[in-house]
Amino acid sequence: MNPLINLLKMEFNRFFTNNMMYILLVIFMAFQVFGIFMIKQYEQPDQEGILLSTMNESQFIQAMLSQTPSWVMMYIMVFSVYFYMSEYNAGFYKNYISMKNARIYSVISKILILGLFTLLMFIVMLVSDLIGRAIFFENAAIGDLQYFFKLLVGQFLLHWAFAIVILCITMLLKNMIASIIIGLVLVLNVFGVAVSLLESLVWDLNLSSYLLINTIVSVMDFNELQTVIHVVIAALAFMMLFSFVAVRYKLNEDLR
Amino acid sequence: MSEAIIEVNQLTKQFKSNRAVYNADFKISKGEIFGLIGKNGAGKSTLLKMIGGLIHPSKGEIHLFDHTVKGNHTYFERMGLLIENPGFFPNYSAYKNLELIAISYGLKNRKKHIFELLELVGLDKLNKSKVKNYSMGMKQRLGIAAALLGSPDVLILDEPINGLDPQGISEIRKLILKLNIAGMTILISSHILEELSKVATKYAIIHEGEILEIISTEELLLQCEERVELEVDEANIIIPLLENDLNINNYKVLTNQMIHIYDTHVENKQIINVLVENKMAVHSITKYKQSLEQYFLQRTGREGESFD
Ligand SMILES: Nc1ncnc2c1ncn2[C@@H]1O[C@H](COP(=O)(O)OP(=O)(O)OP(=O)(O)O)[C@@H](O)[C@H]1O
Ligand SMILES: [Mg+2]
Repeated sequence: MNPLINLLKMEFNRFFTNNMMYILLVIFMAFQVFGIFMIKQYEQPDQEGILLSTMNESQFIQAMLSQTPSWVMMYIMVFSVYFYMSEYNAGFYKNYISMKNARIYSVISKILILGLFTLLMFIVMLVSDLIGRAIFFENAAIGDLQYFFKLLVGQFLLHWAFAIVILCITMLLKNMIASIIIGLVLVLNVFGVAVSLLESLVWDLNLSSYLLINTIVSVMDFNELQTVIHVVIAALAFMMLFSFVAVRYKLNEDLR
Repeated sequence: MSEAIIEVNQLTKQFKSNRAVYNADFKISKGEIFGLIGKNGAGKSTLLKMIGGLIHPSKGEIHLFDHTVKGNHTYFERMGLLIENPGFFPNYSAYKNLELIAISYGLKNRKKHIFELLELVGLDKLNKSKVKNYSMGMKQRLGIAAALLGSPDVLILDEPINGLDPQGISEIRKLILKLNIAGMTILISSHILEELSKVATKYAIIHEGEILEIISTEELLLQCEERVELEVDEANIIIPLLENDLNINNYKVLTNQMIHIYDTHVENKQIINVLVENKMAVHSITKYKQSLEQYFLQRTGREGESFD
């Protein structure tokens, strides 16, 4: 049987027997529902005079994801660091890393696991949004389904790419605390804002809008092909670049 | 000619400022128990990590099972490794850890296999407690079980008796011999030659990253130098005679009745003659082989410290 499949099965098994994964999802769900309750209590119309409670699910997701810090990114960041470092610190990789191509496959399986966690985060986000909005806003409208679908797929790919960036950084730093601090700086998008500012001083182009987290936090119109292309390009570019760096690094790494 | 399962040529590992292994050359044939002996920091773990594929050599080649291991193309799957500390998830049970490894190998019949291994290394197969609550010796046994998972052709054990009690040491020794009889090639490291000598068929002495000597068990035993054990009434009177009349300088007074002489240029009868001439009583005089440990310490330039 294919060694990639075997390693992937092992990581899946570890993923689903991991309490941390469930704890993060449950906490996220609780806070998401509680957040909607709090929004209802202190609601103010936004710049365009729209109340969050009157938004449909697509608008609501975009409003939530564009806040800094974005809690979805925060949880994904913490899980990505945790999932890699718990194995690294335990030294468990020693048991399989000497198999043929195991270094490549172990990075690929971790990337796939992070995709799965991102997917679960999105599902929990949707479920808790719908529950919270139905109870506290008395509004569970989703809006145009095609738009909703494009938004979800686009943001899912962007967040998965973000998880891969964090994985790569964690692999390089080999330190839980340091990786979480860098992760926080990224989630707060300090870097993206700074680059955008610098760019606006230098030229008229807006290349920095293609930066991953800038793309995640900007509210865009998914009805326009332009937006979809922008999102897909940003997501795929970051996924490929950081997956490549992660695999290269793992191949050359001297393990403890 | 027996088939070389592991062959390393000019194998070198240079850490930033530190040359951990330098130009190691050796062959390990099928069915051997190859003992790697060296003191702390000699480079044993580094050498084993290169063979086990955990770290990349700075220079040199590794051939495994007749394949050259180049760059990142590894061919290590027929090896079981226990290098430095065993790698387990502290929050999972022993069974769960082994199960995860077994899944990553694609093993069938996992439960049966794992139960057999736990029994083999003397761990309770029904123990549900987390590995983080295991004693050092239990972790080490589990590490050996993990290395044996998937029935490897070659077993690499880095100081496997670390943390084991005497009973555990003897059990592991028996296990190693049993596996070897069943055809497994074993590469085992230790800093105690005495312990290795109970299992190994061949030794490499590594010191400051260099392989000083490769020697078979028979050669080792032959080469072990001799000492004369002299039992007398009053050692403090006899010492000046030995020093002045026989020019013996390399000796150790164990008690006032027992002297060990390491100088090999004197014959027993010379010693007896001198003592008889001076009317000294000799209760016994025996020639002894030098201990393995002294042999090792001598090779690695620390023989002076063996008499402290
Ligand atoms: N990752 C590393 N970076 C820098 N130096 C290292 C590294 N790993 C080992 N060394 C150095 O290489 C030398 C050999 O270390 P190694 O662990 O191979 O020794 P050893 O023979 O296994 O010792 P011990 O009996 O204590 O286990 C030591 O001087 C050590 O400090
Ligand atoms: Mg060591």
